[in-house]
Amino acid sequence: MENAVSHALYILEEPVQYIALSFMALMYIIKISTLLKKPFPAERAELKGDRVRGSIHSLFNVLRPWDMESTSKNLYFYTEFMIFHIAVALAIGATFIIPLAPSVMTPTVTGIIMLFMGLACLIGLRRIYRRLTVPEIKIISSPDDYFAIILMTVFFAVGDVALWFWTQGQAETLAMWVFFLMTTFFLIYVPFSKISHYVLYPFGRVNFGMVFGGRGILNADNPKATWV
Amino acid sequence: MSQIEESNVFSSEIPEKLGALEERIWPLKQEFTPEMLAEMESMLASRLNRVVATSLAGCIHCGMCSDACHYSVSIPEDKTLVPAYKADRFRKWYKSRYDWMGRIFPSFVGAQPLTSELAEEMFDKLFGGCTMCRRCTYNCPMGVDYGMMVRAARSMMQQVGRCPANLQETVDTHYNHGNNMAVPQDEFIETIEWIEEELQDEEGCENYTIPIDKKGAQYFLTLNPREPKYYPLTIQASAKVLNAAGVDFTISSRYWDLTNYALFNGNDADARLFSMWQAEDVKRLGCEYLLSGECGHGYRALRWELPNWLGGVSFKITSMMELMAKLIMENRIKLDKSAWKGHRFTYHDSCNIARSGGILEEPRVVINAAVDDFVEMEHCKERSFCCGGGGGALAMSEFSKRRIAAGKIKADEIRATGANVVLQSCHNCTDQLKEIVDHYHIEAKVMNLAELLSPALVL
Repeated sequence: MENAVSHALYILEEPVQYIALSFMALMYIIKISTLLKKPFPAERAELKGDRVRGSIHSLFNVLRPWDMESTSKNLYFYTEFMIFHIAVALAIGATFIIPLAPSVMTPTVTGIIMLFMGLACLIGLRRIYRRLTVPEIKIISSPDDYFAIILMTVFFAVGDVALWFWTQGQAETLAMWVFFLMTTFFLIYVPFSKISHYVLYPFGRVNFGMVFGGRGILNADNPKATWV
Repeated sequence: MSQIEESNVFSSEIPEKLGALEERIWPLKQEFTPEMLAEMESMLASRLNRVVATSLAGCIHCGMCSDACHYSVSIPEDKTLVPAYKADRFRKWYKSRYDWMGRIFPSFVGAQPLTSELAEEMFDKLFGGCTMCRRCTYNCPMGVDYGMMVRAARSMMQQVGRCPANLQETVDTHYNHGNNMAVPQDEFIETIEWIEEELQDEEGCENYTIPIDKKGAQYFLTLNPREPKYYPLTIQASAKVLNAAGVDFTISSRYWDLTNYALFNGNDADARLFSMWQAEDVKRLGCEYLLSGECGHGYRALRWELPNWLGGVSFKITSMMELMAKLIMENRIKLDKSAWKGHRFTYHDSCNIARSGGILEEPRVVINAAVDDFVEMEHCKERSFCCGGGGGALAMSEFSKRRIAAGKIKADEIRATGANVVLQSCHNCTDQLKEIVDHYHIEAKVMNLAELLSPALVL
């Protein structure tokens, strides 16, 4: 597919993105190193399970909705979650592929990305509604929570429109400009918002796996009971 | 006749002064003052280990925890009991100090400096609205450890003197007397000797003993002070099982109290001190195992926290729940299931034994060996709902009404099993279950596992 864009859009799609990406990486390095400097609670008790296996088990529990009651009883919610996050990954991927390897964006690939982004947009709208109307969610929501989900929903909508024009052979459109301007904003804003939760996710899951894996609650197939 | 003479260490000094040399009463305050808030501000950084910091920073307000908490499920009309909301009372303060956005635009991310109002909310929700049962932790996609986070918050409030009075009094009593009910040493020994006589009056138990301070015994059995004080039959039942299996055990006349309420008020120095007393006593008698009696938080404090508080120990630590399962699996005791014919049983997993302790299958081994009619609750093992009595809740009279209301989900699940006996292995659970069974009009008796085995033993 052709990718003829103006020099201005090229500047936005590449150098500006790289600068913003570098800034994001720097912020994450600071965030992660700050966390790593904090001591992990000691565990000197004789272990009943395996802390490493527990951590791995915990880290991938996102792929086992039957593991947690909160997901097993809310499979619709879980499915939404998966689609939404796949769409995020695809959208991020698209921001790299469009300027760097436009030939990858075949109609099929573009169509798949558009499908996920379209679904994610609808899911975003439902999540905004949920946050506004479900009392136990509303009471814990901050402006950052609303802003993050609105931003993502708009981003998916804009991305879908930009890619539709892309399939029509129009690489440089207002939608594409907005899509990349929003991407730049994301790269700079995300380290300061709740959207950066994916950086904390591995820490939370590994912490959980270390504590409860060591105590023999996870990985029930490999118990090391102290009384044996 | 007790075997106290064997060690001969107390012949000249019973009762000895147990507990700390200088007694204390922790000064408590009725409200947060600016000085207390300033002191809490100075402590915050020291409480932020990696788990607590991640838990404070990692909540995405997805609300998945709302169905996980016995408070929010049992009292659905009060949305402030949702775990994320309760934890946010602490998180707001944390964000105002450490969150980048929170320091620049606090209201945008819900950050809030520590004020007396916010601190009072923390007190209400994190002492009176959370039992640190960690059920929400198990259901949090991000792995937020509410138990560890809430304990960190409690520890700072306790340090500045804001702690539920009865909870602090329990810790102070332990500090001053060496056990949390101030049972004098001579009275304790007399009680054990009396229980031993009662045991020997049972058919087939004429030669059974409850050795006190027996040096070199394999197991150092610890007790909850409620047992010698109010439930001596549970000691009798445990001793009967151990004797029937030929287990070499002893009870100390000194630091026999396995409880550690400093786990609940967050005071690490006290927790460490109580642990040290017990560890020193195990070493004094040269026992191989420190054996936790049936007590939820006591088991967790001994098995999982004591080695951390003391930097490791040279002896092994186990529990009656595990030992009884071992004795059954090794055929060291024989049981007659007809002893409980006509009864239906269910088992309540104490949070500190199951979710935070890893004892999931052992109670089932014990129960299935002794009864034919056992029905699990809808949520069991690591998914069990807290009964509402954990986290020191029974020692917080100011929150009693909420505690009973929060027990509704457990009461509903007990009722659904149709059981007329609720088994458990925890004294806080015992008291809470007895209260909710009565409050919600359920015809069921509450007993522990040793009490289940004792009448079924074939001697």
